[in-house]
Amino acid sequence: MNPIFEEIKDAIVDGDEDLAIELAERVVAEKIDPVQAVQLGFIKGIEEVGAAWTSGEAFLPDVMMAADAMKAGMDVLEEVLAAGEGEGAYEDKGKIVLGTVEGDIHDIGKNIVGALLTSAGFKVYDIGIDQKAEEFVAKADEVGAKIIAASALLTTTMKSQKVLVEYLDDNNLRDKYKIIIGGGPTSAKWGEDIGADGWAETADEAVELCKQLLG
Amino acid sequence: MLPKFDILTDEQINKIHKNSLKILQEIGVEFSYDPAIEVFKKHGQRVEGHRVFLDPDFVENMVEKAPAQFTLHARNPEHNLVCGGENVIYMPGYGAPFVYDADGGKRDATMADYDNFVKLAGASKNIHMTGGTVVEPTDVSDDIRHLKMAYSHIINSDKCFMGSSSGYEFARDAIELTALLHGGLDVIKEKPALICLINSVTPLKYDDRMLGGLMAYAEAGQPMVIASLVMAGSTGPATMAGALSLQNAEVLAGITLTQCINPGTPVVYGSTSAVTDMSTGSLSIGNPENALFTSASAQFSRFYGVPCRGGGGLTDAKTVDAQAGYESMMVLFAASTTGVNFVLHTAGILQYYMAMSYEKFMVDDEIAGMVLRYLKGFDTESDEKMAYDVIETVGPGGHFLTQKHTRKNFKTEFYRPALSDRQSFDGWSKDSLDTNQRAKLKWQEVLANYTPPELDPAVKEKIEAFIEKRSKELMK
Ligand code: B12
Repeated sequence: MNPIFEEIKDAIVDGDEDLAIELAERVVAEKIDPVQAVQLGFIKGIEEVGAAWTSGEAFLPDVMMAADAMKAGMDVLEEVLAAGEGEGAYEDKGKIVLGTVEGDIHDIGKNIVGALLTSAGFKVYDIGIDQKAEEFVAKADEVGAKIIAASALLTTTMKSQKVLVEYLDDNNLRDKYKIIIGGGPTSAKWGEDIGADGWAETADEAVELCKQLLG
Repeated sequence: MLPKFDILTDEQINKIHKNSLKILQEIGVEFSYDPAIEVFKKHGQRVEGHRVFLDPDFVENMVEKAPAQFTLHARNPEHNLVCGGENVIYMPGYGAPFVYDADGGKRDATMADYDNFVKLAGASKNIHMTGGTVVEPTDVSDDIRHLKMAYSHIINSDKCFMGSSSGYEFARDAIELTALLHGGLDVIKEKPALICLINSVTPLKYDDRMLGGLMAYAEAGQPMVIASLVMAGSTGPATMAGALSLQNAEVLAGITLTQCINPGTPVVYGSTSAVTDMSTGSLSIGNPENALFTSASAQFSRFYGVPCRGGGGLTDAKTVDAQAGYESMMVLFAASTTGVNFVLHTAGILQYYMAMSYEKFMVDDEIAGMVLRYLKGFDTESDEKMAYDVIETVGPGGHFLTQKHTRKNFKTEFYRPALSDRQSFDGWSKDSLDTNQRAKLKWQEVLANYTPPELDPAVKEKIEAFIEKRSKELMK
């Protein structure tokens, strides 16, 4: 086994974004098998962090920095992976567009959800805070996402989650995407009321939810 | 009153103060609201886009203009409150979207809950004002929520209250309603009667809505709390000194703006900084770190010569259990003994500001009563209090239970619990009620017996007409 895979794994476990990029660039430059780099390096690393998280040994900075490092490294490999280089193929577990709804700037919870989804093998496109329904859908369309995940932390911005569902209805896109929602003041009942496909109270549950919806 | 104690040395205060000024000067603060940018430009501060870099001397000079204390006027002058100095003002929790019930149930807060919490605050002798946004009444459209909330405070109690700070327009509505209650805008400009909460957006930002509110209150000469909530570890550094420096920089920037707009406008230095739970990312408020931030903020307020807001009956518990009790006592005690003047969130909060609970309100009311008694300390003014004579009368080996001196003094010297159980085991075990169950019976009883103080019908009519007119305009 190429020793670089072990180095990649360690970079992810250490949450070292710069090193993850550097190593990914070496993979490309030295024409090392990118699929193996992903499977034996990046995924191994993030799985290790994920396991430590589940057992309560890892804390948020560990997981979030590992997810960031993974994302940064994977972005470097994106082109060679898309070109089908390497043995076999690498596929993510599914693409998810994630954002905080219009009028709302709370993003800590959203970022945690994004990190845990990334570490569970999903490809997350985080469009940021204060985002309109159109913007969620435009991104989902662009990247071919299956799930749209919307966070709201204010009772006054929860209705933007409803607007998002209605926007899909109005544009006959409702069957194309699964919509999931979350954030402090939301509830399972609110999810049902607005016709979302799922709601989760915590980031861990959000991961389970996405696995179910795409499983 | 007990002397308030310091937790930072002069050297530590200086170091943190300097660190904050350096943040303001070199990193700067983002103000998204254009009128605020204009104000800073007019005062010769360096502005790049929406980022303002504040000169340290300028900040110190502006903060100096804010008064050390002010009186907040109530419709009933007996409830006027002095904010600053040795005083401490207690009020209900603020902004929670949920209500948690005694049996562990969770539901959306409603306008009926709103009225109830205002009444409980009105009825309590330990809670000095009825607060603001005591819950988020989610059954009322947010276009007119601020009007309904103001009305609830006006009609259900004659104590001081807080008004909306959600943008210039809503803030104006709250100010005008208060003016109607007190006899005109010029009256309340002279005698401030409404206070609001302005929050920074940590790290180092102020948003449009809040700044609109700030401008409205500053123009009308109404006081405001300028507060920062740093979640150490997520929205701020994980070190206590770093998070405090950041909070301090934000609050100084906010106070500076208020004094630019209207020099001498009463402001309160506010802090709700606490820590992030590093396993879940959630805010955590029932802890020693929060108590430390709170006490440090009180000391910084003394250093800057302005009143302080911080602390409360704060907890991360989801129900009225031991955790709710010990956490709340810790933070309220720290706030009150180290010199916080304005204690938002004194009563009712569960789960890091997410919920209000009636039972928790009663528990916190009891904690507040205990702390207020503690703050009174020892009275050594008179011979009567020194009690030499009665000690002499009883002499060695007697008892004091049947002395006139005892009968006369115990009621004012001892705090009489309203909720705590001091019975024998047999007495208690007749019903075996725990604190949560007793608190439930208690708030129901208080509400059933409460009659809101009457409001002059002519004033009431004017206020209702205003609300009706504005509701029509806003619901269009
Ligand atoms: C930190 C904070 C802020 C920070 C935000 C900083 C940032 N970068 O995010 C600042 C200071 C900027 C802020 C501003 C405001 N805030 Co604020 N804020 C909070 C606070 C204290 C913590 C929020 C938080 O990050 N929690 C931690 C995270 C991890 O929890 P979470 O977001 O719920 O996420 C978890 C789950 O919900 C879930 N999840 C989240 N998103 C999603 C999405 C999906 C799809 C799924 C499946 C799951 C999921 O997973 C996460 C991890 O487990 C809360 C109170 C509280 N205790 O929650 C108030 C709170 C939300 N804020 C409130 C308010 C009112 C405001 C302001 C209007 C002003 C004010 N009074 O402070 C402004 C509004 C600004 C705006 N336009 O959005 C109120 C809301 C009340 C209401 N009406 O709903 C709260 C409840 C406080 C209160 N009691 O007053 N706030």
